[in-house]
Amino acid sequence: MTAPGAAPVARYSRSLSTLSRADEPRFGGKSSGLGELLSAGIQVPAGFALCTAAFRTFLTEAGLQSLIDERLASLSPDDLGGVQSACAELTEAICSAPMPAAVQEEIARAYGELGGHSSDAAAAVAVRSSAIGEDSESATFAGQQQTFLWVAGAHNVIDAVRDCWASLYSPTAVSYRARAASADRGPASVALGASGASGATGPPAMGVAVQVMVDALVSGVMFTCNPVSGDPSTIAVNASWGLGEAVVGGEVTPDEYRLSKVTGEVLHERIGDKLVEYVAAPGGAGTVRRDVAPERQNLRCLSDTELRALVELARRVERHFGSHQDIEWAIARNGSSPTNLFVLQSRPVTAVPKRDQKPPASTAIALVMSTFGVDPAPRDT
Amino acid sequence: MARSTPALGAFPSPFSIEPPPDCAGWEEMYPYYALFDEHRRETDENRFWFWNSMHFPVPMPAFDVICIDSPYQAVGAWQNRVFAVPPAMGIDYRIVNGYVYISGNPVTDPAMIAERAGFFQARAGYYYENWTELYGKWRAKMEALIAELGDLRVPALPDYEPDEVAFGDHRNTAFYELLDAYGRALRLCDLMWQHHFEFLLLGYGAYGTFVEFCKGHLPDIPDQHIAQMVAGIDVLLFKPDSELRRLARLAIEKALDAAFVEGRTPDEIDAELAQSEAGRRWLAELEKVKDPWFNMATGDGLYHYYRSWLDDPSIPYAALIGHVAALKAGEQIERPTAEIERERDRLAQEYGALLDEESRQPFHDLLALSRTVFPYVEEHKFFCDYWFLTKWWNKIREFGALLAQHGFLEDGEDVFQLSRHEVASALDELVLSWATGGQPAGPQHWPPIAARRKRILDRLAAWTPPPALGVTPDAVTDPMTIMLWGVTTERVQEWARQQDGGLVLNGAAASPGTVEGIARVVRSVDEVADIRDGEILVCGSTSPAWAPIFSKIRATVTDVGGVMSHAAIVCREYGLPAVVGTGSATARITTGQTIRVDGSEGVVTLLVGEEGE
Repeated sequence: MTAPGAAPVARYSRSLSTLSRADEPRFGGKSSGLGELLSAGIQVPAGFALCTAAFRTFLTEAGLQSLIDERLASLSPDDLGGVQSACAELTEAICSAPMPAAVQEEIARAYGELGGHSSDAAAAVAVRSSAIGEDSESATFAGQQQTFLWVAGAHNVIDAVRDCWASLYSPTAVSYRARAASADRGPASVALGASGASGATGPPAMGVAVQVMVDALVSGVMFTCNPVSGDPSTIAVNASWGLGEAVVGGEVTPDEYRLSKVTGEVLHERIGDKLVEYVAAPGGAGTVRRDVAPERQNLRCLSDTELRALVELARRVERHFGSHQDIEWAIARNGSSPTNLFVLQSRPVTAVPKRDQKPPASTAIALVMSTFGVDPAPRDT
Repeated sequence: MARSTPALGAFPSPFSIEPPPDCAGWEEMYPYYALFDEHRRETDENRFWFWNSMHFPVPMPAFDVICIDSPYQAVGAWQNRVFAVPPAMGIDYRIVNGYVYISGNPVTDPAMIAERAGFFQARAGYYYENWTELYGKWRAKMEALIAELGDLRVPALPDYEPDEVAFGDHRNTAFYELLDAYGRALRLCDLMWQHHFEFLLLGYGAYGTFVEFCKGHLPDIPDQHIAQMVAGIDVLLFKPDSELRRLARLAIEKALDAAFVEGRTPDEIDAELAQSEAGRRWLAELEKVKDPWFNMATGDGLYHYYRSWLDDPSIPYAALIGHVAALKAGEQIERPTAEIERERDRLAQEYGALLDEESRQPFHDLLALSRTVFPYVEEHKFFCDYWFLTKWWNKIREFGALLAQHGFLEDGEDVFQLSRHEVASALDELVLSWATGGQPAGPQHWPPIAARRKRILDRLAAWTPPPALGVTPDAVTDPMTIMLWGVTTERVQEWARQQDGGLVLNGAAASPGTVEGIARVVRSVDEVADIRDGEILVCGSTSPAWAPIFSKIRATVTDVGGVMSHAAIVCREYGLPAVVGTGSATARITTGQTIRVDGSEGVVTLLVGEEGE
């Protein structure tokens, strides 16, 4: 369970490298997915994960559960004003409630270990929510999850963890759960509260992942298939300068590359107008959005070597998970390809392209015959 | 023809095309049935005709019409009467201002399509099942045919027949021998075309099905990867050039490389080599290579203009000079066959593994079938279009020389200005006047005709034919038109749009990569020699026989062609970006213009310089 030599038993946290998919119910999709990647030998920024018990302990000790139940029980999801004011109140309550001492100590210790060798400054980390549930890592759900970048100092990390938890009660997240519940059981029985439900729409719980920041020169997203046609032999890459937020948030027209999974060659590329980028804020707390210098805006942001490294990475990740993956990645400012390439997240490609235009399965000779206008034998319908 | 008719659809009516200046009477060069005539106007005006610039990029000389008639007789016979391809009969052609337009005859009656399907399945199935054995017999037939052509003698017309005619039992007189030889020569050409098309439809059909299968399941797969998976390792078409590479290496080993200087003629190089013992041994080695590998044509063989490397060694010698220079620069010039084979099997295995369960077996079966048929697809051109045809044109030159010798022509080469039936007529009169001793009319009759036609052909060559005539079809459904010419519905619509002009040409992405450079428009094989290093070749269609110049150019753009043409295959082998089937590149681009060729997207952009006339 714990690292050799670690004296105290960790109840709420584990190193990401010890997690696997089986830990999803307790640590959430994000953390367990990162653990999977690490166990497959894929380079992921070092970090630790908090389990849902940390959140529940927090709610219990702060006495917040009854407040939550009360505020949400009587709400209709169509009452937007009501949802918003309830959410604002719950967020405020969560963010101002004290962190239980045991959780606080564990976070501080695990964070301290991340600092590792660089004792000169507190390590900058990313704090990300790690939601529980079947489609918790899906693209549709992911939009509601919180990420705090460039967080430094144990105190700030603890605040960020609380902010992640609070995001469970953002109006978007609450409405999403209400819609999901209504799709399951019909609108009449919708309850926005936490009690009584199960599964993805049940009492919301959340893990948190804390990872060392990658100071990204370039980052982006890639699909291990063609996201439009579904072609399994293609890797589609979107990339832009700085941290991945610019690409994920659609704030730039990224460079687009389509690569052959089989040979790695560039099949198609279009260089985008990369007008803005996110980088570490001066002083090292948080990030800033800034204009990209004009001469870099239309510069190809990935070299052929880096593209080759991405193809190799895509092949490995896909092979490990056995399905097409949607991978967020970053290339660190320091270091050289391929060791400066990190995976920040990988999840199955959700909106699987429709392939009904695909030719029907048939024998080779029947296909040749149809080339010459010989209709295939009538089939049972 | 001179009557003006409003255009139907986006393309001009075939009846609205005027002859270029001073070309009146061009019709006399062609058979009556090759012309758009009033009796068929109702039908012909409402059909879609496209310029077959892939096979006939320049105006047809009268004699060369045999290479329209005979192939279309042969392709129709196999497609329509032997295999009975269900939706398509044969291909009609018409000539406008010297250029060949073609149009398929569809089968539309569902009952007839069903009836034909029965024939097709049985007969095509037999060929696919026994392909390798049947193709082996085919090669033997072709070699026998080429041998017979070599043995065919064109008799002289002696003042006195030899004694054998007088005293022997089995000798004919020269008048009969000559007419017989001419008739036989024509029949041998027909026979070659018959053989040519025996396997062509089925071979391209199997390969085309594999291509479509790959593109259906793997829409992003580069054409090059499909070709790499199928292509043979030891390809006959690459043999001539690989022999040149071997000879270049030999020249370096024997310290003869100083003879291979850029700009020298083959004769100058031969003369220098002949001065040393090592040089003479190298020349002897070259002689051994020439039969059969110098039977490559300098172009795609359907015109008498295309000579073989034997007739015109400038292309192989230019290649030798290039190979010697590359070797001296330390480059590896041999095709890395082991690597090509490894990569071909790796691609097949990896793509197969990416497919879902139910598609994997048909993928591997279609690939296996494509590899089975591919030797024919790759090799038939060498046997038919190059080896046979270059020798055959030379045989016709022998008849031309005889006619010239007797004053019927000013120059033996003028024989190609007469139709094959006119040549038969001229030979009739030649042997008649030889026999009777009377005064022939031919020497007054034929030379002015040949002279006039040469002038007309020159002027027609400057005319730019529209890519298509008649009615724009809603959809191109003829499998042969799509497969052999790459003329698809999208392509035709693109041509129609281009009638309005513009700076961008669209075609099929035949070989990936993007380059910018100076265009070199090549309309006939004579202009191939003008190509300079680093230029972009713009032509009606590329020919694999031009292989050696592919090491000079940076990209290729063609008017017509699909991804399955030999041309596209060789282009990819050389790793050159290529856009094929643009419809009007040779008309819209001029030599010297800067263009950008995007072979990955199939787009050609005209950058600077003057627009084509």
